[in-house]
Amino acid sequence: MARILIVEDEVLIAMLLEDIVTDLGHHPVGPAMRLQPALAAAEHEDFDFAILDINLAGQQSFPVADCLLRRGIPFIFASGYGQAGLNEDYARIPVLQKPYDPGQIARMIEGSAPSV
Amino acid sequence: MTPPVPADDPFAFLGHTGPAARLVRDFDWGRTPLGRVETWPQSLKTATALLIQSPVPIVMLWGEEGVMIYNDAYSVFAGHRHPALFGSNVREGWPEVADFSDNVMKVGLAGGTLAYQDQELTLHRKGYPEQVWMNLDYSPVLDESGKPAGVIAIVIETTDRVLAERRNRAEFQRLQALFSQAPTFMTMVSGPEHVFTLVNPEYRKLIGGRDVIGLAVRDALPEVADQGFLDLLDHVYSSGEAVTRTAQRILLRWRDQGPLEERFLDFVYQPIRDEDGTVAHIFVQGSDVTERVRAENHQRLLINELNHRVKNSLAAVQSIVTQTLRHATTPKDAAQAITARIMALAGAHNVLTRENWDGADLRALVESAIHPFCGPGPDAFRLSGPDMRVGPYAAISIALALHELGTNAVKYGALSVPAGRVRIGWSVGGDQLFRLDWTEAGGPPVVESGRRGFGSRLILQVLPDQLQGQAWIDYRPDGVAFTLTASVEAVRDEAT
Repeated sequence: MARILIVEDEVLIAMLLEDIVTDLGHHPVGPAMRLQPALAAAEHEDFDFAILDINLAGQQSFPVADCLLRRGIPFIFASGYGQAGLNEDYARIPVLQKPYDPGQIARMIEGSAPSV
Repeated sequence: MTPPVPADDPFAFLGHTGPAARLVRDFDWGRTPLGRVETWPQSLKTATALLIQSPVPIVMLWGEEGVMIYNDAYSVFAGHRHPALFGSNVREGWPEVADFSDNVMKVGLAGGTLAYQDQELTLHRKGYPEQVWMNLDYSPVLDESGKPAGVIAIVIETTDRVLAERRNRAEFQRLQALFSQAPTFMTMVSGPEHVFTLVNPEYRKLIGGRDVIGLAVRDALPEVADQGFLDLLDHVYSSGEAVTRTAQRILLRWRDQGPLEERFLDFVYQPIRDEDGTVAHIFVQGSDVTERVRAENHQRLLINELNHRVKNSLAAVQSIVTQTLRHATTPKDAAQAITARIMALAGAHNVLTRENWDGADLRALVESAIHPFCGPGPDAFRLSGPDMRVGPYAAISIALALHELGTNAVKYGALSVPAGRVRIGWSVGGDQLFRLDWTEAGGPPVVESGRRGFGSRLILQVLPDQLQGQAWIDYRPDGVAFTLTASVEAVRDEAT
C-alpha cells in the first residue's frame, strides 16, 4: 500500500481519484485543490507518489512538480491537454489522460519506483 | 546621243552614280538661281560632292533662297516629297516649317550655326500631318571669298527613339505606380551584399519606416541578420533558385531602441538575372500575415481548450457514474440519480457558457441549480443575498452541492411536503468571509443517516477543501441547515 497525494482542482474529479486510489488498495492524501495547499502538501506531507493536475483553477502546477522532483518523489501529470502542454523539463513525466483508466493509474504507480 | 566623254563631263566632280547624283546630273539648274552647273563656283561643287558621298542625311540650302541639294539618305527622310523637293527653295519645299527654315537661313548666312536635339516638327511628307523629332545641325558653307553662301544641314530623324523612350517612360511610371501602390511588400536587393535598391511603401511599413536605400541588408536591418534571412538571400544569390516561405516568423525592431516584435510573413525571394545570365538582384515580395497566423493560433488554442473541457467533462461524468453506482440500491435509482447529477452539472455549464466561462452571477447559478426542485405550486424557495460573482470552479461545486441538498430535501426533508420551505441566503462579511446558508423549514424531522454518500462527501468534505473553507450541517428538529464559509477570494477562484 502506498500513500498517494492527489492534486486536482475539480471536486468531482478529485472524488473520482480518491475512489480509484482507494480501490487500488492505496491510501489517498489530500486532495489538494489549489496551488498553495498543493505546494504545502508536496513540501510537508508524507506520501510515496503523486497525481498532479497541471491546471489548478487557472494556475499551472509546475512549482509543485519542481518540489516533487527535488524531493525525489515520483509523480504523474493529469491533464485534459495531453503531452502538448508540457515543456522539456517535464518531458519524462508520464501524463495521465482524462477520463481515467484505473488500470493505467495502477500501472503508473507500480512502474514509478521499486520502493512503492 | 552619245555618252559624254568623262573628261568633258561637267558633273565629273560628283564622283558618284547613285540616285541623288543622277538627280543632280539630270536637274535643269538653269531655271534656278544657281544657274547651269558649268557656272557653279568650286565651293558649291565641292560641297555638293561632299554631301552626295555621305551616308548621313544631309541637305544643303544654297543662296538666299535656300535651294535644296540633298543626298540619298536625306531622300529617304523626305518621303513622298522626294523627288519634287530636290532643287526647290526650302521655304516652299517645306511650307509647314517655313518660319523655322527662315530662321535657319538667316543665322546660317550670317555665319552662325544652329543645333537642335530631338526637335519636334510637324511635317507633311506623306500627305498628312506627322509629328516627328529630329537632331538638326546647321552650319554655313563658305564661297571662294570666305563669305557664307549657303547652309548645310545634317538631319537625323530620332522619331522612333523619342517614341520608344516615351513608351518606356510611361511603362516605367506604370510599373512604379504598381510597385508603390501594391498591397504586398516589395523590395529589390542588389549584389552579393544585398544592397537595397528599391523599396515600396508596404515594405517600408514592414521595417518600421527605416530609410534603407543604398544600405546592405546586414547594416540596414541588423536584427534580422541572425535569423537566417541573410543565409537565405546568399543561397538565392549563389544558386539562382527562388525561395518561398509561408508564415515565416521574424522578429523586427519597429522603433529605434524599441523591443523586437514578432511578425509572420509569407514571401518569395526571386533571383533577377542580368544580360549575361548571372544573378544580379533578388526581388523580394510578400505579405505580413501576422493577423492570420495569430487567428490560426487562437483557433488552435480554442480547440485545445475545447478538448480539455470535453475530457474534463467526461471525467466528471465518470466520477458521477462510478460514485452513484457505488451507493445506489437499484439500477433504476442509479439511472435517475446519474441523470439528475449530470443535468445539474450541465446546468452549471450553461450558466458559465453564457458568460464565456469567466464566472457566474451567484443568483443565476442558484436559480439554475434549484430549478428541478421548483414544483408547479407556490415557490418553496426564498433567495436572499447581494449581487456577486463566483469563479467557474467554485460555481460548478456550489451548483452540485445545491443539487445534492435539493435531492435530499425532496426525498426526506422540507420539499417532501407541500408546506415545506427552503431559504437560501448568502452574504459577504466585513472580513471578506463568504457565507452560504441552506435552511429548511416546515418539513418532517430529518435524522442524520450513518453512511456517507456522494452528497455528504461532496458538500462536507471536498467542497470546503476546494474553497479552503468550512462546511457543516445541522439536523435541527424544524429542518436541515447547511452552512458553507470561505474567503471571497476562494469563491471567486482567485485564491492561490
